[in-house]
Amino acid sequence: MAARGHVQDPNDRRLRPIYDYLDNGNNKMAIQQADKLLKKHKDLHCAKVLKAIGLQRTGKQDEAYALAQEVAALEPTDDNSLQALTILYREMHRPELVTKLYEAAVKKVPNSEEYHSHLFMAYARVGEYKKMQQAGMALYKIVPKNPYYFWSVMSLIMQSISAQDENLSKTMFLPLAERMVEKMVKEDKIEAEAEVELYYMILERLEKYQEALDVVRGKLGEKLTSELQSRENKCMAMYKKLCRWPECNALSRRLLLKKAEGKILAGEVHYSIEQAVKFIEERITEESKSARPLRGPYLAKLELIRRLRCRGCNDEYKLGDPEELMFQYFKKFGDKPCCFTDLKVFVDLLPSSQYTKFISQLLEVIPLSAAAESEVALPADIKALQQHLCVVQLTRLLGIYHAMDKKEKLTAVRELMLRYRHGLEFGKTCLKTELQFSDYYCLLAVHLLLDLWLEEGEETAVWQCLTFLEEGLSHSPSNAQFKLLLIRIYCRLGAFEPVAELYSSLDAKHIQHDTIGYLLTRYAESLGHYAAASQSCNFALRFFHSNQKDTSEYIIQAYKYGAFEKIPEFIAFRNRLNSSLHFAQVRTERMLLDLLLEANISTSLEESIKSMSLSPEEDDIPWKDLRDNRDLTVLFNWDPKDRDISEEHRKLSLEEETVWLRIRSLTLRLVSGLPTLSHAIQPKNSEKTAENGVSSKIDTIRSLLQQLEAAVDSGKKFLEQKIQYPVLGPPPTRMAGFFSNGSCQCQTSLFYLVSDIYELDTNGLEDSAEIQERIGNSFKSLIERLTDLFNKCKGDLIEVRDGTLKTQPNLLENLVFFVETISITLWVSSYCDSVLRPFKSNLQKKKKKKKESSVAMPPVFTHFLDYVTELQTLTSNVIDHIKGLEIILTALKLEELSLKDTLLLQEEKKFTKTVQGKVQSSYHHSVQEIGELLKKRLDTIKKLKI
Amino acid sequence: MTSLRAFTCDDLFRFNNINLDPLTETYGIPFYLQYLAHWPEYFIVAEAPGGELMGYIMGKAEGSVAREEWHGHVTALSVAPEFRRLGLAAKLMELLEEISEKKGGFFVDLFVRVSNQVAVNMYKQLGYSVYRTVLEYYSASNGEPDEDAYDMRKALSRDTEKKSIIPLPHPVRPEDIE
Repeated sequence: MAARGHVQDPNDRRLRPIYDYLDNGNNKMAIQQADKLLKKHKDLHCAKVLKAIGLQRTGKQDEAYALAQEVAALEPTDDNSLQALTILYREMHRPELVTKLYEAAVKKVPNSEEYHSHLFMAYARVGEYKKMQQAGMALYKIVPKNPYYFWSVMSLIMQSISAQDENLSKTMFLPLAERMVEKMVKEDKIEAEAEVELYYMILERLEKYQEALDVVRGKLGEKLTSELQSRENKCMAMYKKLCRWPECNALSRRLLLKKAEGKILAGEVHYSIEQAVKFIEERITEESKSARPLRGPYLAKLELIRRLRCRGCNDEYKLGDPEELMFQYFKKFGDKPCCFTDLKVFVDLLPSSQYTKFISQLLEVIPLSAAAESEVALPADIKALQQHLCVVQLTRLLGIYHAMDKKEKLTAVRELMLRYRHGLEFGKTCLKTELQFSDYYCLLAVHLLLDLWLEEGEETAVWQCLTFLEEGLSHSPSNAQFKLLLIRIYCRLGAFEPVAELYSSLDAKHIQHDTIGYLLTRYAESLGHYAAASQSCNFALRFFHSNQKDTSEYIIQAYKYGAFEKIPEFIAFRNRLNSSLHFAQVRTERMLLDLLLEANISTSLEESIKSMSLSPEEDDIPWKDLRDNRDLTVLFNWDPKDRDISEEHRKLSLEEETVWLRIRSLTLRLVSGLPTLSHAIQPKNSEKTAENGVSSKIDTIRSLLQQLEAAVDSGKKFLEQKIQYPVLGPPPTRMAGFFSNGSCQCQTSLFYLVSDIYELDTNGLEDSAEIQERIGNSFKSLIERLTDLFNKCKGDLIEVRDGTLKTQPNLLENLVFFVETISITLWVSSYCDSVLRPFKSNLQKKKKKKKESSVAMPPVFTHFLDYVTELQTLTSNVIDHIKGLEIILTALKLEELSLKDTLLLQEEKKFTKTVQGKVQSSYHHSVQEIGELLKKRLDTIKKLKI
Repeated sequence: MTSLRAFTCDDLFRFNNINLDPLTETYGIPFYLQYLAHWPEYFIVAEAPGGELMGYIMGKAEGSVAREEWHGHVTALSVAPEFRRLGLAAKLMELLEEISEKKGGFFVDLFVRVSNQVAVNMYKQLGYSVYRTVLEYYSASNGEPDEDAYDMRKALSRDTEKKSIIPLPHPVRPEDIE
């Protein structure tokens, strides 16, 4: 816990044991100790706050809050109470209460530097920029320290950044900030580098580039020392803004020559073309004399050609033929692992007719030797291997592999794997944390096989992919690319079990939950690995929830250290995480999953929804600002531009994810509205019911249902485009399956049913024959639809056909959708039950009273009973089907499978078996989890017999 | 062809290729933000022309000037696999040393796993020597024993007699280092 004031205070001594208990996580003892102390010293307010902290940490939020407000109402001014309350409010995620606290404190102690500064920071946490500006000035008046003054200036910049009205920001906030700094400059009071940085920041934002330049070049600029070449870089930026090219060129030339390594920083510098050509030629001549050749000047030449061509100039400057230059570059740097990345940018300079020639030209200069004429020529050392690997990568980039027919592709795969295994010789001494030199051969072979699988439907190819990758991983256990590709392929095959382990071995954490977490969360639940899905959502949510608190802390630090330029950056970062697509997805899916696993099984639907603080009216997803933080290029590929992941793919994928998220979020909100409709839970004769009661609830539901229909429509429209993302690009959402297997129709018709039942509820049984009939029909068609959905789940998950293994992972996804849909059906049915039950008991009472045996039972009762019976039968059938799948999966002896590919090496056979075993076991796991959940759901049907 | 620039928060979304390496730690957000707020000049990233992040260095300045312990510290240094063997790590170290020189540091230091021979050798080539061994500095998660670290140092020009790098005769425990 934070600082504890002065030791002399006897209260400190009394409080210390409580602090210690809290620090050690012994909250119970802390509460007891605080109670003891409060008996003796009633007015020791801090003890109350510490008790509140203990309560908060043991989950008693309401008590903690009440206690804290008791103390806050007294407007305490002692350090201990203030600090303890600050900590408590932060843990409660209520930073705005801290501002109230210190507002009261500075009123009582108007000259306290400490409290004023706490107040400033409290405002900073919640982004109250205007109040920060005032608090900063108030501080400066009490203690005229420069930082306080500049905190106030920075708050003006923040007001300008957050202002919706750009005009206001340029005509009011920034000029005011400028004047405030100018005043200090005139009085010669500028002290720190941060203050000059801030001045520069203001002028730059005001587009006063000349003034900014003068500051940087003048006396004040001398303070800019922390960052390397801070002044030069700022000058350069301003020269560019001012289009002062001669100065810009002279400065960049000086900077370039100063860099001993001679790397050329290619920016938007506007040399005259002749100058540029001359400069680069000079560098290259210099370079050729040095012992260690540098890549920069050579690449700069290619870059210059590229830019000249963009401008429509061709070879008038005699820079040379790009093909020849690239060839020369390869000869010099082909043994560097980055050679491919270096040249990748420039392949557009080659005419496509030259591709094959270019590749063979490169191959010719690599020293390879074959043991015999008929055998593959292999590299004798790492350098040659590296060069060859570069050519193979370029071959793929130029689309040469893609143009091959099936047989040629298979031959190429064999050769690549041979080279891969041969290359392992060079890495015998590699540590297990290092990669093998030849790993990329294996990856490239797998990419070729993926093409065969997906484009030519070659089923054996996917098993070979997994086999080779597992083999590769056994030699190079730290290779993240092997793991990532295995994850993607296993998921596509519907096998999630091996994925969990692979992913955990990547040791991805913190921000990586946001950037690559999608690899897990897209598949865990949809493949029926509910426990794993829960866990991965939890990890991600923990990260996102801590973000708000964490980043605020460092925004404050940035003020303290005068890192002003970082403040808007940190705020933008916090926003980027808060509006993350993935965050919104895991939030939604986590709640749906909790309901799926628990609602009306271990707790009632109503309680589950209450514990999640869900309400149908509330939508906390920032739809307009959703940020796609997924790292979609985390998997390497060497595909030509037209097959690579494009901006368009990213845009489309975000669109798809957003529509799907909308469907999911609306489903969740609709489900969360169910309990609000029930009579049973409406507090009787409460005033709320009258004014804001059930009738508005059904309106909410109906409006949500309309929105759901609209979302479904846009989803369908989206899918009509039949977009195919690259295999290693964004995984498609579950939306296509949701529509095609019929879950969508089932779910929407369920919510229409809710509306009808509500109508019955308000109309009563008499004169509602039409509604009753409608409900009866809905029941019937629902059963039909659910039966259709079940039919889509039938079939074998895995079977041996023509010597190869065939899988149907979509059956798994359909089963999962079935379970979800049946769960929603049962929640809706239980609402139905809650409406019909009172009707029935009323009728029975009447019957008893009148002692008549002929009070006719309204048709809706029969409809409902029939429907429930059919639901039960259907669910039992599905459970039987799942049992059947389990038996087949257990009995399936893959070891006996004689694979038709007789080319398989002994080593490969071993890995193939491992892979097949993993897939089989994963399916088994899925089927088990799905079956268990469905059994629990079946039990809840039995309660529905009115 | 590399551009070196200040590391920004947005780079955290793009550094997977560097960080999905078994010896590169991905820290919690507060850790990065602390460095960005306090020592932004010490956090530098290298970017390739195609936009790929190649590697980064993250460091800080700390220690008492009076006790001649004011120094630059390398907290993290990592280069993505395909951008290795270009001298990039050396370049990033050079920048950190230059900043530390300007700040008047006496030396630059860093901690490295004893088993990470590749890194230890590289640092030696760059003029660093083992100042002391820190026992069980790296805690292991999967039941393996904790690993020792070398605390390696290189004297800067302010330490004219190179007093700061005289090796300690005995290893120390993590709790004994500041």
